[in-house]
Amino acid sequence: MAGFFQKLKGSGSGVSKSDNTASAKNKKEEPQPDLTPLEKLLHNAGPIREDGSDKFFGLENFGNTCYCNSIVQALYHSEQFREHVVNYPPPLPGNESNGTNWKVNVTVRPPVQAEANGNATGPSKPRQSFGGPQLPPAVPPLRPEDKPDSPEYKKKQAMLRGPVLDLAQENVDPSGMEECTFTGLRDIFRAMIHSQSRTGVISPQRFLDIFKRNNEMFRNSMHQDAHEFYGIVLNDVIANVEANAKRMQELADSKSDNDLSQTEDTPLAARTQDAAGLMTRSTGTGWVHDIFEGVLTSETRCLTCETASQRDETFLDLSIDLEEHSSVTACLLNFSAEEMLCERNKFHCDHCGGLQEAEKRMKVKKLPKVLALHLKRFKYTEDYSRLQKLFHRVVYPYHLRMFMTTDDAEDPDRMYELYAVVVHIGGNAYHGHYVAVIKTKDRGWLLFDDEMVEPVDKHFVRNFFGDKPGMACAYVLFYQETTFEKVREEMDVEGLDQVKLATQTADSATTTELPNGSSTAVLSKLNSQPLSPVDENETLAALDQARSAPPEIDVTTPSAPLPAPLSVSEVHPLVAAPPPGSAVMTEADQAATVPPKTKAQLAKEKKELKAREKVEEKARKAAEKEQARLAAKERTEAQRKRSEAARLEREQLAQVLKESKQMAEEEEKRRRREAGTTTTTDTATSSDGGVGSGGGGDSEHEQHHRHGLFNRAGRTSKSMTRKSFAFLHIGQNTDENKGGGGAGGDVKGYKTDRSEASEDGIAKGEGSLLGTKENGMPHNSQHPKNGTSNGANGSNSSNSSNSTGNGTPAKKASNPFLVRAIPRSETAPGAVDQLRRTPDKHDREKERDSKEIQKPPLKERFSFGLGRKKSSKFLSSAS
Amino acid sequence: MFVLPPPPRYSTTAGHNGLPPGTALPMIETNNILSNPSGPEYQFLVGEGLYVLKEDLHLATPPPHPSETPLANPNPLSTAPQSATAGTRLTLLNLDVNPLSPAIYRTASRSDGAHGGVQESPDERQSSTDLRESSSDAGRMSSVDNSLFRANTNTPAFGEGNTLLAPAAQKDPNKRRKPKNNMTKSNSSFISRVINHESLPKRLQERARDGLFAFANINRAFQWLDLSSPTKAEYLTKILFTKAHCLCHDVNKLTKSATHIDVVMGFSTGEIIWWEPISQRYTRLNKNGSINGTPVSQIEWIPGAENLFLASHMDGTLVVYDKEKEDSIFAPEDEGNPRASGDTNGTGRVNYTSQIYVHKSVHSRNQKANPVAVWKLSNQRINAFAFSPDNQHLAVVSEDGTLRIIDYLKEALLDLHYSYYGGLTCVCWSPDGKYVVTGGQDDVISIWCPSESPALIARCQGHHSWVTSVAFDPWRCDERNYRFGSVGEDRRLCLWDFSVGMLHRPRAASVRQRGSISSRPGVSPLHRAETFATAGTSGSGRLRSDSNLSSSGAPLGAADGERERVLPHPVEPRATTATLPPVLSKTVDDDVLCWLGFTSDAILTSCKNGKQSQSPT
Repeated sequence: MAGFFQKLKGSGSGVSKSDNTASAKNKKEEPQPDLTPLEKLLHNAGPIREDGSDKFFGLENFGNTCYCNSIVQALYHSEQFREHVVNYPPPLPGNESNGTNWKVNVTVRPPVQAEANGNATGPSKPRQSFGGPQLPPAVPPLRPEDKPDSPEYKKKQAMLRGPVLDLAQENVDPSGMEECTFTGLRDIFRAMIHSQSRTGVISPQRFLDIFKRNNEMFRNSMHQDAHEFYGIVLNDVIANVEANAKRMQELADSKSDNDLSQTEDTPLAARTQDAAGLMTRSTGTGWVHDIFEGVLTSETRCLTCETASQRDETFLDLSIDLEEHSSVTACLLNFSAEEMLCERNKFHCDHCGGLQEAEKRMKVKKLPKVLALHLKRFKYTEDYSRLQKLFHRVVYPYHLRMFMTTDDAEDPDRMYELYAVVVHIGGNAYHGHYVAVIKTKDRGWLLFDDEMVEPVDKHFVRNFFGDKPGMACAYVLFYQETTFEKVREEMDVEGLDQVKLATQTADSATTTELPNGSSTAVLSKLNSQPLSPVDENETLAALDQARSAPPEIDVTTPSAPLPAPLSVSEVHPLVAAPPPGSAVMTEADQAATVPPKTKAQLAKEKKELKAREKVEEKARKAAEKEQARLAAKERTEAQRKRSEAARLEREQLAQVLKESKQMAEEEEKRRRREAGTTTTTDTATSSDGGVGSGGGGDSEHEQHHRHGLFNRAGRTSKSMTRKSFAFLHIGQNTDENKGGGGAGGDVKGYKTDRSEASEDGIAKGEGSLLGTKENGMPHNSQHPKNGTSNGANGSNSSNSSNSTGNGTPAKKASNPFLVRAIPRSETAPGAVDQLRRTPDKHDREKERDSKEIQKPPLKERFSFGLGRKKSSKFLSSAS
Repeated sequence: MFVLPPPPRYSTTAGHNGLPPGTALPMIETNNILSNPSGPEYQFLVGEGLYVLKEDLHLATPPPHPSETPLANPNPLSTAPQSATAGTRLTLLNLDVNPLSPAIYRTASRSDGAHGGVQESPDERQSSTDLRESSSDAGRMSSVDNSLFRANTNTPAFGEGNTLLAPAAQKDPNKRRKPKNNMTKSNSSFISRVINHESLPKRLQERARDGLFAFANINRAFQWLDLSSPTKAEYLTKILFTKAHCLCHDVNKLTKSATHIDVVMGFSTGEIIWWEPISQRYTRLNKNGSINGTPVSQIEWIPGAENLFLASHMDGTLVVYDKEKEDSIFAPEDEGNPRASGDTNGTGRVNYTSQIYVHKSVHSRNQKANPVAVWKLSNQRINAFAFSPDNQHLAVVSEDGTLRIIDYLKEALLDLHYSYYGGLTCVCWSPDGKYVVTGGQDDVISIWCPSESPALIARCQGHHSWVTSVAFDPWRCDERNYRFGSVGEDRRLCLWDFSVGMLHRPRAASVRQRGSISSRPGVSPLHRAETFATAGTSGSGRLRSDSNLSSSGAPLGAADGERERVLPHPVEPRATTATLPPVLSKTVDDDVLCWLGFTSDAILTSCKNGKQSQSPT
C-alpha cells in the first residue's frame, strides 16, 4: 500500500531530476499507475452533475492552438458563462427535449485504430490495442514524452486514456442558429457536459475551423496571443448572439404577422414566437454583457474653468501596464492614476470653448461580474522591431477589490476571487505555450495544459508572478465576483491542502530520517480535497448509473468496435465511481484490465509512431520556420529603416516644437514627414490587401450608428489605425457575423475621449512606423481621412485646434470622406477591436522613450500600442 | 511572507559539486560583503532629518546542499511542492541591559542603542537629531514602563498557576542551563556545517559591551554577526543546515547575558533548534516534526519566560514549546478543550471564526514533555504574530486575511478582523499597546485599535505591492503621535506618521488611556480585554449556562461563554475608512524587502537574498 502511494506520488508531483530517471526505470517494469492525480481526486465523486461543473477535459492541441485551449478552459469554468452558453438559445417551451438536451454531434475517437481519426489537420495520435504481442522494452527513454514526469508524457497519456471526443463535423443547431464561433464554443461545452466521463480530451477541431474561417490572422500555425483570442471570441459571441436574437425577432414578427390567427394550430410558429418572447423577456442577448462588461468613466477636469466632464465607456477587460516589482492592485491603481492633458494633448473644454489643460482620471463605474485583467507583458523593444516579454515580478492576490471605483459605483467594495490564470511560458511574444490554472467549483485548482489536466496546489498559482526560472508568467487573470461570506466559508473548508503542502515539504526535507513520510503526505492530499459529503454517500448509486447508462453522446460510427474500451471504462474509477476507500480495489481492477506488458509494448509502438510523426513534423516545421524567418527578416529590416526614419522625424518635430511654435515651419515639417510616410508606405504596399476586407464594413458602420456611443473624431482615428490591419485580411471573407462582432466589440470598448488631434499626431509621428504595416491599405481611402485630420493636426502642436475629442459637428460635416473611409477600415479583424476595446493606458516603455523628445500626448502613447500589436500580427501572418 | 526562494544567483547549469577542478564558480557566495554606496539615490529626507544609507551588508546566500539535486532546466509547470522559504530576517540584540526584570519591555534592547555609539553619526544634523530624539525617547519610555508596571501587577505570567511549568530550580540563578549537544562536533544529518570565526573568543572578548549583535537567517544558513565590530562583514558563526531552511528565529531578551544567549530557530521542516551561541550547543525540538510537521512561520520567546517560546506553524496552529523538555507524540487533549464540544451546532463542523481550539492547554496536568500548549486557530497558514507590549495579548495574522487578537494567558480569542482582501502578512503592536498595525496582500497597511468598534482606524496606501514587514519606531512615538515603517515586495520603504487627532474619527474614550488594552475601562461590547485583567470579578458575569467549566481552572472557563460575542467583524467599506498617505515612500533596494527594524539612530531593512542595509539618520 505504501509503495503504491509512493509511486503515485512520484508520478503525480513532478519531482526533481534524479528522481525522474529512477522512477522512469521503475515504470518500465511496473504497470503504469493507472490513476492519474486527477482521477485520484475524482475517484469518489458521486453522480455526474448536470451543470458540467465536474467535467475536467483536456483540449487537444493542433499545433500552437494552446492559446485557444487555455482561454476556452477559462471560459468553461466560469460558471455563469458556461450556464448561459449552454442554455442559449433558451429551450423552446413546448419542446424541452429539443433545447439544451439535444445531442452534440460528437465522435468518440476510437481508441484502437489510429486510422480512425479522419480529421484532416489534427496530428493523428495513434493508439495501440491492448494485449498485442509483448515486446521487451527496447530503447531507454530519450524523448521528452517518454519521461513520466514530463508534460509531454502526461499529455500523451491523456490522449491514450481517452475518451477523446472529436468535434469535427458541423452541428446543425435545432434552433436554427447558423454555425458560428458561439455555436462552436457551445458545442464544446455541451460535449463536455453530456459526456459520461468526467475526464477525457476534447478535440475542438470544428470550433477552431470556424474561428479561423472568421479570423484570418489566426489562420496559420503560429503562436498567437491568447488575450487577443479571448477578445475576439467574446466579441464574436456577442455578435452571434445578437444576430440570432435579431433573426428570431424577425422570424417572430413575420410569423405573427401572417399567422396571428393560426398560432394555435402551427406549433412551429408558436414555438418561435414563444422563443422570441422568452428571449426578449430574459434579456436574451444581454448575458454576455452582464457577465463581462464593465463601465469605465473618464473624468476630465478642465484646469481653466474647473469644469469636470465625464465620459463613460464599456470594457470587456482591462489591459494594465506593468511595473517592476508591483502588484496587480498597484497596476490597477496606476491605470486609473491622474494624468495631465497638456501640450499637444490638450483637452477641448466645451465650457471654456477651447483647448485647455486638464486632468484626467479613469475610474470604474460598473464592475463586471467577471473581471479579466490583461497584464501587458509584451512590449516593443527600443527599436520597435519586435515584441519583448517583460518578466517583471507582478504579484496577484487570490482575492481582489477595486480601489479605483467612482463614488457612485454600485457595490464599490465588490469582492473578486481569482479563478483562472492564463500563463504564458516562453521568452517572447512569438513563441511559447499557454496553459491555464483554474480554480474549479469544488475540486480546488487544476492545471489545464492542452490535453492534460492535473490537480495542483493552491500555491501553485503563485508560481507565475514572473520572476521564477522557466519563463512562465501570468498573462491574463480572471477574477470573478464573489461575496465575503463565500470566501469565509471556503477558507474554512480549504486550508487543509496547505497543511498538506507543508507536510510534503517537511517530508521531502526529512526524507533521510523519515522514509515513510511520503505516504502520509499523499494520503493527506487525498483527504484534503474538499469533497461534498453528499457525493460520497452517493457513490454506489453512481456506480449503478454509470454501468447501466448508455452514453448520452451521439456516437457516430466509430469504425472500431467499442466493447473493449467500454469494458475498460466500466471499471474505470472515473466513469463508475467505486465505493469509498476503494484504492486497493481500483488497483486490482487496473491490474486486471491492463496487463503491464501490454502497456510497455504499447508505449513502445507509440513511440515509434511518434518518432515518425515527429520527423515529418520537424521537417514541416523547419520549412515553416525558414519561411517565417525569411519573411520576418525582410520585414524587420524594412521596419527598422522605417522606424529610424520615424524617430528622426519625431525628433525633428520635437525640436521644432521647443524652439519655435511657428506654424509655417511646422507645416513644412509635417509635409516632409508626410511625404516620408507615403513613400515608405508605398514601398511596402502590396496591392491585394485592402480590397478584400471591404465587405463587412457597412454593417459594422451601421452598428456604430446604432450604438451611437462615440463621437466621430474618435471613430476616425480608430478607423485609421484599423486600416493598417486591413492587409492582414487578404481575402478575408466578408462574413457579416464577424464584422458585426467586431463592431460590437468596438462599440463596447471603444475609447472616445482622446482627442483626435493627438491621435492623428501619433499616426503622424509614428506614421512611418505604422506605414510599414499599412501596406495593404488602399491609399485613396487613407488619404481622405488621414489627410484631413492630418491637415488639421499635422500642424498639430500649435493649432490642433479643431480636431478634438469632442468632434465638433462642423468637422463631421466638412469631411465627406470620413464616412466612406470608415467601413473599409473597419473590417479589420477583431484584433483591433480588442485593442480598442481594451482601455490601453500608456505604454511605459514608450513613454520613457519619448520623454527625451517630448512628453508625448496620451493618444500617441496609446496608439503606439496599436502599432506594436500590428507588427506582431504582421509577423505572424507573414509566413 | 513566505515566498519562494529567489532565483539562484549561481549558474544552475553548472552543478556546484562534481565539477572538474579549475572550473571557476564565481557565482557562489561564501563571504558577506560590506559596501557603502553613496549618492542621492541612497538618501531620503523626512521630518526628523536626512537618512543616508550607511552600510549595505550583503550576506552570502548559501547554495543548496550538495545532497539536494540541482534544478537543471526547471519545468515551470512542475507541480512538485516548493519548500517554504522566508527572506532574510534579522534579530538585533544588545547585551547591555538588565536581563532580570520580568516586565522587560519588548523594545528595551533597542532602546539601549540610544546611548551607544553603534553607528557613528555621519554629520552634525545627525547628532542633533539623535539628541532630540533620545530626550523625547526617555520621557516616552519611562511612561510606558509605568503603564507596563501597572499592567503587570495584574497580569499573571503565562502558565502561572501550573506548577508543572515552573522551571527547575537552579543552584546558581546566574548559571543557565545549556542545550545538550555540541554544535561544532555534531554529526547530525540536520546540520551540514558550522563555521566559527577563527578568532571568535577574542572577538567576543574585545567587543564593546553595548554593541549590537545581529542574528540572521538566509535560506539554509544562519549567521551570527557583530554589528559593532569594524569587521562586521565577518560572521562570528555561520551554521549551514542540510536541507531545511531556517525561516525565523528569536533571541530570548530575558536570559541574555555575556555568557549566555538563547536562540530558537524555526525551520521549513517544522523542526526547531534551540541554540546557545556562546557555548555552541544546541537541542533539537519537534524532531522530524513529531509534534507538528508543518513549517514554522514565526517563533518568539514568550515575554517574561525563560524556557517557553511560541511557534506558529503553517497549518494554523500555535504551539508553545519548552526549550528543555523532550518531544512526545502529541494528540489533542480533550480535557483542555472545553470549547470544541460546545461549538458543534449539530454538524460537527469546526468554526474557526468564533474561537480558537485549545488542543492542549497550558494548564494541562500533563506537562512532562513538549508541547506545553497547542492552539488551533484555523486551517490557514499563520503568517506572523506579535505579543502585545503588556504581555497579555497576541495578534496573529494569517493567509486568509484574518487578524486575531488572542488573550494567550486565557487561551481565548478576543477578536477577529479581516483584511480588505488577500492575506495578511505581518503585524506589530504600537509601543503603548494601543494599536495593532498589519500589512497584507492588498498592498495596504491597516491600523487597528482593538478596543474600539469598528476597530479599523485607517488604511494606509503607499506600497505598490504586498507589504512584508511593519514595525513601529519607538523613538518617534509619543502619547499621541506614532511613527511606523513598512517594507514590501515593491522594494519600498514607507514611513508613516499618524496621530489620534489626525485620523478623522473621534475617539474620546481612548485618547487619555495609556498603555495596554487591558488597562482601559472600555465599554464597547466587543471589548472584553479589560475583564481579563480582573478575571475573578467580571469573569463570572459572562458565564453562560451552557458553558462547561473545565477542570483546568476558572480563568479558562471565563472565556467560555464568549463564543457568540467573538463574531467576525465585517470588512469596513472603503467609503467610511480613513486613508493615510505615507510621509515617505522610497525604493531602497534592488530586491524584494522582507524585514524592517528600527534602532535609535537607524532603520534597518533586509531583503530576500540576504542583503541588509542600514540607513542611519
